[in-house]
Amino acid sequence: MSDTERARESIERFQKQIGLLREEIGRVIVGNRSVVDGVLTCMLAGSHALLEGVPGLGKTMLVRTLAEAVGLDFSRIQFTPDLMPADIIGTTVIDEAASGTQRFEFRKGPVFANIVLADEVNRATPKTQSALLEAMQEHRVTVGTKTYEIGEPYFVLATQNPLEMEGTYPLPEAQLDRFFFKLQVPFPTRQELHTIIERTTTGHHVEVNAVLSRADIVSMQELVRSVPVAHSVQDYAIRVLQATHPDHEEATEKVRRFVRTGASPRGAQAMLLASKIRALFEGRFAPSIDDVRASTAPALRHRILLNFEGEAEGVSTDAVIDEILEQVPESKA
Amino acid sequence: MSERSSLAGLGRSARWTGVRLRLGAGLRRGIVWLPAVLVYAIGALTVIKVATPSNAVESALLGIGAGMLLAWGALVVYTIWSRRAPNHGAHCLDRYHQLQGRLVNALEFARVPAERRSPLMRAAIDDALEKVGTLSPSKAAPLTIPKEAGIVALLAAGLVGIALLEVRVLRYVPPTASSFKPMVMTADDLELFRDLTTELEQQGKDAQTLAAVRRFNQLIEDIAERRLDRREVFKRLATLEKDLTKAGEAEREATEEGLKGLAHELEKSDLSKPVAEALKEQRLADAEKAMRELAEKLKNKRTPPTKAELDRLRRALERASKASQAKNQSLLEQKEALEKERKRLLDKKKKQDNSLSAQDQKKLDQLDRQLERLDRETQKSKRSAEQMSELDRKLAEAARDLMKAQGASAEDLQSAAQDLNRMAKEEMTRQQKEELLKRLQEMREILRQQGAGGQQRMQRLMRFGRKARGQSGGPGGEQGGGKGQGQGVRPGQITPMLVPGEGGGEIPMAGMGQGSQGAGKPGDQPGGGGPGGKEWGTGHDANVGGESTELKGQTKDVVAAGVDTGEGTASSEVIYGAAQRGFVGRGYQKVYTDYQTVAERVMEQDEIPPGYRFYVRRYFQLIRPRE
Repeated sequence: MSDTERARESIERFQKQIGLLREEIGRVIVGNRSVVDGVLTCMLAGSHALLEGVPGLGKTMLVRTLAEAVGLDFSRIQFTPDLMPADIIGTTVIDEAASGTQRFEFRKGPVFANIVLADEVNRATPKTQSALLEAMQEHRVTVGTKTYEIGEPYFVLATQNPLEMEGTYPLPEAQLDRFFFKLQVPFPTRQELHTIIERTTTGHHVEVNAVLSRADIVSMQELVRSVPVAHSVQDYAIRVLQATHPDHEEATEKVRRFVRTGASPRGAQAMLLASKIRALFEGRFAPSIDDVRASTAPALRHRILLNFEGEAEGVSTDAVIDEILEQVPESKA
Repeated sequence: MSERSSLAGLGRSARWTGVRLRLGAGLRRGIVWLPAVLVYAIGALTVIKVATPSNAVESALLGIGAGMLLAWGALVVYTIWSRRAPNHGAHCLDRYHQLQGRLVNALEFARVPAERRSPLMRAAIDDALEKVGTLSPSKAAPLTIPKEAGIVALLAAGLVGIALLEVRVLRYVPPTASSFKPMVMTADDLELFRDLTTELEQQGKDAQTLAAVRRFNQLIEDIAERRLDRREVFKRLATLEKDLTKAGEAEREATEEGLKGLAHELEKSDLSKPVAEALKEQRLADAEKAMRELAEKLKNKRTPPTKAELDRLRRALERASKASQAKNQSLLEQKEALEKERKRLLDKKKKQDNSLSAQDQKKLDQLDRQLERLDRETQKSKRSAEQMSELDRKLAEAARDLMKAQGASAEDLQSAAQDLNRMAKEEMTRQQKEELLKRLQEMREILRQQGAGGQQRMQRLMRFGRKARGQSGGPGGEQGGGKGQGQGVRPGQITPMLVPGEGGGEIPMAGMGQGSQGAGKPGDQPGGGGPGGKEWGTGHDANVGGESTELKGQTKDVVAAGVDTGEGTASSEVIYGAAQRGFVGRGYQKVYTDYQTVAERVMEQDEIPPGYRFYVRRYFQLIRPRE
């Protein structure tokens, strides 16, 4: 079997595995295909997602279902203002052995799971929020002088409620930048609501099976990284990223007027990785500009910071991104 | 198909799509911007056609239009050749065939060296190459005509319509300088011809002659008023000459011929010899007188002619009455004989197969010429017979009556004298016509010479005319004759004349009055040194009748008349004086008449070429005495 055939086979396997995973999740989660794909994209990219939506839209259910479907450890942290960093990363306790000897022992916190749901992450204090910082970025936790590795794959899903801003602590820019995607969970349609009501108000119970193994996830993550990107596609992603900066020549009118800070290079990374995954989802061997365009909004919406005027005018970052996608040419001489 | 060739095919498709995209963009941009150019062109063309701007404005409008057209062309070319993304054709194909960037990726991965291509890159290339066969550049990049093309077509039609539209603009065209150049004659010459025509008019009794004179007079007046150009003047002269000469010459010759024949027969009688001599010399008045004297002789019973004389006279009258007919008969007989001979020669020629001996042919030619001459003479003789028919009849009656009674014959001769009188009058009319004809020819020659001499000659003639009248002309004007002297000029009729002034331009000046209707009324105001007025004076001396006679005085009328002794100033002095003061005065008139008479006689008697005769006559015309 040639390399090309092997590559084809790996792509086909990826597609099949993703199909299985979607199907399994779909058994529990009604609709929200884009959110599910976004979450899967973040997981396969080896990064983290920030889910934003009103309560009751099934965010926790989605994460839990995903964890069960891939057979990974799952932990849920409900962020509250009084939540301390130790509450999430763990704490050192005195452990008395049977022999009577006592020693300090580190008790791992909920971050030490493959999939972590940080529920309503903006309700915790910045100190606690930043506790997630090292875990999310480095996939390890340092307590005292000792560093503890977090097993792969590691995937943090944070949620936040856009309505109840009273008594919340908006995530700092540095922390937001560490989220691969910011996914907005839409309100279900009438048909979806019918299905949700039927499933949740009857004795209907669905047992989620693990359709993928940890090794599969890691293998898939490796495959994602090996997907080649054409220069023009990469160039497009970069130009879109540059266009988010108000002082850049390609910046659009809205960017110049309403944006305080554009996206960091992580934004371009996120766009391209997401494009690769999207191409793989569709059985293609390389991403296209359309893939980049589809990935731009979730990858950049939390990385673009609006200025006071933008906030005052109620301009959404999605509107800014839409304008950028509309105006930045797909190819440039 | 190998991967390389497939990739080449993919590249070609992508490039061709790119070319079509460029062309399409050029077409779109061209059609979108063309209305601006066309609208301007319509506006500019309308302005040019309707407002008829100056050349500078028109050039500016055209320049702007050309600039716009050039800019439009440059824009289209720039659009077509502007720099594009390397794979814009492949992008277009991807978009049209919904290939999700497969073609762009494949083309870019193909540029990566083969050893550096990852398996997924190769798989991506293979994946794209599978689609090569289905690619359609023409559909992916269609060269569609934009909707603005309709506007362009409408505007272009409008432009063509305006270009074809003929806008008639009433434009004031300054009148071109008239090419009419009137024929100019000097006042002196005009006066000369006026005098001549007046003379002819007074003499003329015949209506035809008077009409011709009036036409000639009108011609002179038209020239004086500068109503005719050179061509028209010569045309009218030619018409007049033609009318005068028509049939006159033939009649004159016929009459002369008849009278000569008559004289030839009448001189054979002593009684009729004086008549014959007068007739021979064409002195018809004398002939009439001689004929009346002959009639008186026949009536005179105191000294009657002898029988022999009467017999000779009778025979002479008989022959004379038949002279014309006899001559005519003789001519006819000659003609008949010649025609007979000619017919004989022609028959001979016919018999000899249309050939004659050289001698006979020569004779035949001579006969033809003689016959032609005889024809002419016969015609002439016939006309002569017609002219003389009345006189012949009277003479024949006189001859017959002479045999019976001398008194009756005398009456017949009186009648013949009357007929001669009629012929004399006709002769006079002819002479007047000839005189008029001569004047016409003179005028034509003068005008011709004047035309050849140009403006300078005209100036000289005008100066000469003034001097001839004893006036001194300034360089740019002419003094009027306004010194209270009538001079036979109608002061109201001033001939405007342009003469060259000092600066070379033409200055209107008052010429001599051209009137010829008798002496003008002497003005009662002394004339100034300036030009003459256009009207004569209206006042008069309060003492017009002169001083009243002093009755108390012892006065008596005395008449003193000088006797012309033949003495006086010598001719040379008179001529010298005329040269100094002008050709005026009684003394000069006498000298002039003497010289002119001699000159005319010499010209009549000696063989002087007509051209020289003209110059001599012209000379005498110019130096003729002025009143």
